[in-house]
Amino acid sequence: MIRHERTSWSATVLLSVAALSVLVPLYVTVTMALKTNQQAVDGNAFSLPWPLSWDNFAEAWTLTNFPRALGVSVFITVLAVVGNVLLSSLFAFALARNWERRWVRLAFYYVLAALFVPFPVVALPQVQLTGNLGLDNPVGVVALHIAFGLSFNTLLFTAFLRSVPAELEESARLDGATTMQTFWRLVFPLLAPMSATVAIFSFLGSWNDFMMPSLIIADPSLQTVPVVQKIFQTQFSSNYNISFASYLMAMAPAILAYVFTQRWVIAGVTQGAIK
Amino acid sequence: MPPPLSRRAFLTAAAAGAVGLGLSGCASDDRAIVRFHSSKPESIPYFRELVARYNQEQSAARVVLDTATNLQAAFLRGSPPDVGCLNYNMEMARFMERGVLSDLSDMPEAGRIRPEVQQLADQYATFPGRTNVLPFSVAAESVIYNRAIFDEHGVEVPTTWTGFLAACETFQAAGVAPLYGTFKDNWTLAQGMFDYALGGLIDVPEFFAAITELGTAVGPDSPRSFQRDFLEPMERMRELVPFHQADAASRAYPDGNLAFARGEAAMYLQGPWVFGELAKTDPDLSLGTFPLPMTEDPDDRKVRVNLDLALWIPEGSRQQEAARDFVAYLMRAEQMDDFNAQFLGFGTTTDAAPATDERIQDMQEFYDDGRFYLGPSQLVPLAIPLANHVQSMVLGADLRSTLAGVDADWARLAFRA
Amino acid sequence: MTTTAPVIRRRMDPVYLWIIIPTLALFTLAITLPTVMGLFMSFTNSIGFGTWEFIGLNNYVAIFQDPAILQSYAFTFGFAIVTVLAVNVLAFLLALGLTARIRALTALRAIFVLPMVISGIVIAYVFNFLFSNSLPALGTALGIPWLSTSVLVNPDLAWVAIVIVTTWSAIPGTLLIYIAGLVTVPREVYEAADIDGATPLRRLTHITLPLVAGYVAINMILGVKNFLNAYEIIVGLTDGGPGTSTRSIAMTIFTGFSGGDYAFQMANAAIFFLIVVAITLVQLRFTQRGEKA
Repeated sequence: MIRHERTSWSATVLLSVAALSVLVPLYVTVTMALKTNQQAVDGNAFSLPWPLSWDNFAEAWTLTNFPRALGVSVFITVLAVVGNVLLSSLFAFALARNWERRWVRLAFYYVLAALFVPFPVVALPQVQLTGNLGLDNPVGVVALHIAFGLSFNTLLFTAFLRSVPAELEESARLDGATTMQTFWRLVFPLLAPMSATVAIFSFLGSWNDFMMPSLIIADPSLQTVPVVQKIFQTQFSSNYNISFASYLMAMAPAILAYVFTQRWVIAGVTQGAIK
Repeated sequence: MPPPLSRRAFLTAAAAGAVGLGLSGCASDDRAIVRFHSSKPESIPYFRELVARYNQEQSAARVVLDTATNLQAAFLRGSPPDVGCLNYNMEMARFMERGVLSDLSDMPEAGRIRPEVQQLADQYATFPGRTNVLPFSVAAESVIYNRAIFDEHGVEVPTTWTGFLAACETFQAAGVAPLYGTFKDNWTLAQGMFDYALGGLIDVPEFFAAITELGTAVGPDSPRSFQRDFLEPMERMRELVPFHQADAASRAYPDGNLAFARGEAAMYLQGPWVFGELAKTDPDLSLGTFPLPMTEDPDDRKVRVNLDLALWIPEGSRQQEAARDFVAYLMRAEQMDDFNAQFLGFGTTTDAAPATDERIQDMQEFYDDGRFYLGPSQLVPLAIPLANHVQSMVLGADLRSTLAGVDADWARLAFRA
Repeated sequence: MTTTAPVIRRRMDPVYLWIIIPTLALFTLAITLPTVMGLFMSFTNSIGFGTWEFIGLNNYVAIFQDPAILQSYAFTFGFAIVTVLAVNVLAFLLALGLTARIRALTALRAIFVLPMVISGIVIAYVFNFLFSNSLPALGTALGIPWLSTSVLVNPDLAWVAIVIVTTWSAIPGTLLIYIAGLVTVPREVYEAADIDGATPLRRLTHITLPLVAGYVAINMILGVKNFLNAYEIIVGLTDGGPGTSTRSIAMTIFTGFSGGDYAFQMANAAIFFLIVVAITLVQLRFTQRGEKA
């Protein structure tokens, strides 16, 4: 009897049409990537490619040195995700369990203040600093991704931790567990849903980041997938089909990962949103 | 103080190793590593080969070619390359002004440079008592024309402004685009129409010396200014806009190379770097060059030049000796001649061989007579987005107010210098 | 349930110090130190290396007179406001749809969230092609003059292209927050409204919106902060052109640095920083008041 319970066909149709705005650019990317050079320059982005030109991928693969860029991107992303989850959760744990101390609360606000700092503001001195420390490479980007993630992640973790009753931990302590043992055995598993959220944000942030690696990494052959697209673009922009093969390869890993994990990704991001 | 090399090397290696690249970049011998920066895209394969040859011929140093590092960032990081061989422009001049490049005046190679050419470098900036850069190759730029199209329509190479306009009208009447424009890439406008129009009408070094002197006083009422001195040349520049193909505004440099090589226009305002790109599409294209005539007197014609490649060694290089040795190798007469012959450049030394390629041969007499000027767009500091302003003017922005904006930019830059 | 037992000042387990101190050190080195360094340099004429000298407030004075800088601020703020509105309106409508009784719900949600995993610069390049080649081809075929040249080279329209692409890629995050908000609205509230005979529009403005106001605030704050940093999508679309009409603040800072303007751009960054802090504080203030009301 209630309107709500019926399937809303009008909404379904409207949304399906709107979904085209997401799908069409992706469709164009795929078809362009498969076209021959002649087909690519005729300006008709929506035509179907024929004959299929698989060579575009091979060419883009070697021109962008894709395996290496992918390796660097994976390296940065994995370390940043692990680093973000571990460091922020440990840090939040240490803060939350010493919250009665004034300096600890100050440390929390100190770190939180970085939420205000836009990257362009600190970027150039960071280039100088990382260079002088020998960190003008993917390792430096990892360190910066972790440092930049710290504020927001600590906020998420402390909010969660402060709602966990301390009694649980007290009992573990009575059994003789050290602080670190308590963290690993009791607290960290409890934090799992929040860790998943932090991991997803951190993955998206690191994997898609363009600004930071492009400025920090000195050696262009150690650049990430998004930055390589730009280098490639300035050199080979007239070969649209090869450019698009390269874009498609740049998008593919994250899209594939997303297709298989979208349920958790959506849940994880939503979780971060309500906190 | 710069950090010990070992730590940087270690961390770089750690990063490289971790992504599964191995440690192939690390030398197993104890030769000094000389990082050689040269980013001119067309000549990368050439220098790669040259470096390999050099590494084979001697055993004291190993040169590593670096083609893509952002130089400003590299200096900021405290790890500049050991030898630079790239376009000398305002950006490099600023490095030099701040004393980060070493003095090369005691190298015998410095004495072989033609004085007029060394002076080009001094037009940017000088550092008292030092010769910081050695010009390696000069690129001369003028109007590139398609001989076949000129012949087909019975058009002679024009030597006066009215002659040039008449030629354009002939082509247009015949349904041929006189000029191919790539307005989407603003640098192509700055080095082309903008510079040619100015260089043919004003005394470029004199103008820049004057406004540098004026500094913060440059403005609507100053004796010299962009809005005063550039207005007429810019009006002339705008007269050329309608002679471009219809979609010039949305075409980029690569599009232009493809189209011009396919004979879609009679003329193309580009430098010699484009010849290699054109040959990729049509190696048999018959092309020639002539300076854009801006007055009614053929003797006023001049070609635009730039220090396409110049050599320098940073003060911060830890391999001064090895770097100098490599610079001397590069500057050997036969080496320089070989490069210029391949890349259609002009020699910078008194003993350089003349150009023999038909595509640039016509510019040799201008070059030999010193009838050349440094592109004005090159003499404006990068902090002033000149190419963007040029693009706006070409696309129809008000000339007076745009140039007044450049004046204000200039004065402000002087204020905080 | 707080116990009233006196707080026993225990000695802090050193393990905590081993966690807190190095973390603070990393943070200080990576964020605080660069901020201070940048601020210091903004009072000099340094190009980042080589010789330099103090020039007092000259950089700051020059910034306020520099039309290119002022234009970049005007562009960035205008862009951020338009985009944040576009993103939020569209994401909210989508969220309404995606929480209604529809078919293919999971698939549709998955599609609308998909842009989140695509790098901004890559999608900008794809759209760059569509804007420079496909749309003009369409415009010529249909005989629409303003569409037959690329919008990216049109100084009056290029920013619209940037808004479109940014919106495309920013909707997912915003959408998910709205979905999270909308599912918290109890169904009974709507049922009660239905009995009262409220129109759908009235239901939206009087029930739904007030109940999810907090989520709107979050989205506005996050959105403004993100869009003020606009950079890579612009790099991929217009690179600041045509002319300087789409140069964002971030882009001005980076390109200025490449032109040897380290100190000057640090002064620019310092001003940008203060503005961002001010905006965020105002927004937070506004939100807190809204929540109390």
